[in-house]
Amino acid sequence: MIPILAVISAFIVGSVFLIFTDIPALQQLFGGQPLGFLGTALGNVVKAYTALLTGSLGDPSRYADALRLGTPDAWATAVRPLSETLVAATPLIFTGLAIAVSFRSGVFNIGGDGQFVLGALGATATALLMRGLPAPLILVAALAAGIVFGAAWGFIPGFLKARTGAHEVITTIMLNYVALQIVQLSLRTDFMRPPTGSEPISKVIDFVRVPALLPLPGLRLHWGFVVALVVAALVSYFMFRTTKGFELRTAGLNMTAARYAGMSAGGSIVLAMVVSGALAGLGGAFQVLGTVTQMSNDIDAGYGWTAIALALLGGTRPGGVVVAALLFGALNNGGHEMQIETSIPLDLLVFIQALVIMFVAAPDLVRKIYRLRARGTEPGTPAEEGAAA
Amino acid sequence: MTAAAAPVNVATPVASEAERRAHRSARIRGIVIAALGVIAFGLAVNTLGGDVTFKFWLQQQGKAFAQVDTSPGELWILTGLATGFTGLWQLWRGAAVRWRLWLVLWLPFWVVATMGTLLDRQTAVLTNLFSSTLEYAFPISMGAFAALISERSGMFDIAVEGQMLVGAAAASIAGSMALQWLGPDAGAIAGPVIGPAAAALSGMGIGLLMAWLAIRYHVDQIISGTVVNFGALGLTNFLYLRVLQTYTDYNTPPTIEKIQIPLLADIPVLGPIFFQGTPYMYIGWVVMLVLTYFIFRTRWGLRLRASGEYPQAAATVGINVIRIRYRAMILAGAIAGFAGSYLSLHSAGSFQMNMSAGKGWIAIAAMIFGAWNPIGAFGAALVFGFADAAQQLLSELGVTIPPQFLASVPYLLTVVVVAGVVGRVRGPAQAGQPYEQG
Repeated sequence: MIPILAVISAFIVGSVFLIFTDIPALQQLFGGQPLGFLGTALGNVVKAYTALLTGSLGDPSRYADALRLGTPDAWATAVRPLSETLVAATPLIFTGLAIAVSFRSGVFNIGGDGQFVLGALGATATALLMRGLPAPLILVAALAAGIVFGAAWGFIPGFLKARTGAHEVITTIMLNYVALQIVQLSLRTDFMRPPTGSEPISKVIDFVRVPALLPLPGLRLHWGFVVALVVAALVSYFMFRTTKGFELRTAGLNMTAARYAGMSAGGSIVLAMVVSGALAGLGGAFQVLGTVTQMSNDIDAGYGWTAIALALLGGTRPGGVVVAALLFGALNNGGHEMQIETSIPLDLLVFIQALVIMFVAAPDLVRKIYRLRARGTEPGTPAEEGAAA
Repeated sequence: MTAAAAPVNVATPVASEAERRAHRSARIRGIVIAALGVIAFGLAVNTLGGDVTFKFWLQQQGKAFAQVDTSPGELWILTGLATGFTGLWQLWRGAAVRWRLWLVLWLPFWVVATMGTLLDRQTAVLTNLFSSTLEYAFPISMGAFAALISERSGMFDIAVEGQMLVGAAAASIAGSMALQWLGPDAGAIAGPVIGPAAAALSGMGIGLLMAWLAIRYHVDQIISGTVVNFGALGLTNFLYLRVLQTYTDYNTPPTIEKIQIPLLADIPVLGPIFFQGTPYMYIGWVVMLVLTYFIFRTRWGLRLRASGEYPQAAATVGINVIRIRYRAMILAGAIAGFAGSYLSLHSAGSFQMNMSAGKGWIAIAAMIFGAWNPIGAFGAALVFGFADAAQQLLSELGVTIPPQFLASVPYLLTVVVVAGVVGRVRGPAQAGQPYEQG
């Protein structure tokens, strides 16, 4: 209940901001037409949110056309928005899972961004290095490189935390920035850079690509999405059905208790960070090899930060994270449509996502707004989980 | 205190584990520093031939100047002497040496010598370098002060970045509105006051929101900080694209100009560096001194530190920890927001998207570096500001080292310091821990 209400509240606050930044409408208000103002402003809000919806799920009339005509082209047009939503959700599932694992284990991995971009960088570099070899081989190696790079970037803060107690929030954030600098530096090398042009982008990886999922022309949806779902199931199995997962969750609930139970606290911190980094890195690899086909400066698009929202929204459970990622994927993708149709900046959705995190992280606030009775603490951050248990 | 002092009187033949470790790391440190000294001498041998000129403006830019001719080799010899001496001193005195202070002695030599080597056979104007160092250091140091106040009270404030960004936007919008509504004459006078004031207010609002979420609704402070950073980026980008980009009148605030302090500005060399900056620079120094005094010498500071170190104990003696934390967050927000106004008002004269560009994080790095101490944080901010200024100077003179190297230095250094590889710093014990009033 709380997550749904949180999303609704965030959209309401978002529309308030939409209304009060609608300068033409505000001019009506100050021109003595309060009703005209309300009509224009609310109309714009409705238009924006409608565009968001059709942009993310598709236009009903297009679906009708597709059913009538039945041609692959018509179907492709109809399901393109949905396909793009799933494409947008894929990296979010990976990073969301990464953060969820770390939160469950009592480690605050804020470094999803850095792990994601380094995973992408590793995959790109490996693919470019192996150019000419059989495509499946390159694909597997590049994905593995993504995992290794991400895991390595997660290992550093984990190891530092375990050995010296360095706060992982500080180290992961700082390493995010270092990772971005590494990417920028590497994009200047001749090995990565296309022969012409000076933009910070890599050569296009046109010789290998994650296969498309749907047999329709022009759709970007690829098998990475399916892999993301499988990985979510695996993470769920790992966290809730294996001894290591139990140790991680115990450490997340109470590090001292875990230590007294004979578990290695340092070991579980490192393991959590490595798994977390590997997941984010794999997400980066799929983003390069499946969706965008080349490495660039802005490949991460804030996935590491959004992931924190996803982990909280999904109650740090893999299933919940997947649902939350689909929702945010729909928001991000529909936002493009909204931006085109109504020229309302996409960044509104970043703000709304931040509000979602806020409301989800403050369940008592949501309960108070909607006059809900408190029913114990919702599982959210590991600490709250501990209080509830 | 008496309980802690007692074991000192009883002769303890066995040094504690902590002491042994301190001595060992001091020895390692001494060896490393001494080795660096030897390396500096080695570099001197290779670079004796070159020469380099450093220029200093005497009174005002573009007027008379003084200059120093030297060679990289000479600089490296001096570096080697200073470093070698520090290393030997460290080895001799062991853990008793306050090595962080000693950094001030030998590290600048390395910087100057490195620059001299890079600038071989060129002329560099160092006055500009130093004055822009001070300018660049301002937002970083203020952000560090903000983070420092809140962490001293026991609240994690990782939202400095977001507060700066919102402050920058608020300052530009409020300053422009003042200019629009009051007319060019009154607006040009009122704008530079109203802009920063609006920035500080917006920062206070965010600080209050974070404190409220953390204290009243038990939101994890890292989460609420993330919310603010993320939300601030989204909100300001949205505002910029939806309003400011089209209605540019609302994004052309009166800028804050450099002022010359009478008499002091005429001091040779020092005048152009220290006394011809924007008012922000002077405010930065004042805030540093006032904060140092208040945090370490007043009752308010003692209470602030107590609620960060041991809130339960503080509450036992009647300190209202909750109120202290609220006030600290609001004050921190005001400072961070004010720092943001510098970004949009000083020279740019408008708000741009993602203007803070990681300065809030470098500020947190500076706070950690400065060991949660205003003067230390200011020193660290100067170092980071210098890195920016040096990078600019070098690129102007055509010396191309990839800027990514210098840009990532603050972040890497922070990781190293937090990890305690070169002498760990310790923050307030309860920072980030929720406190429940009993």
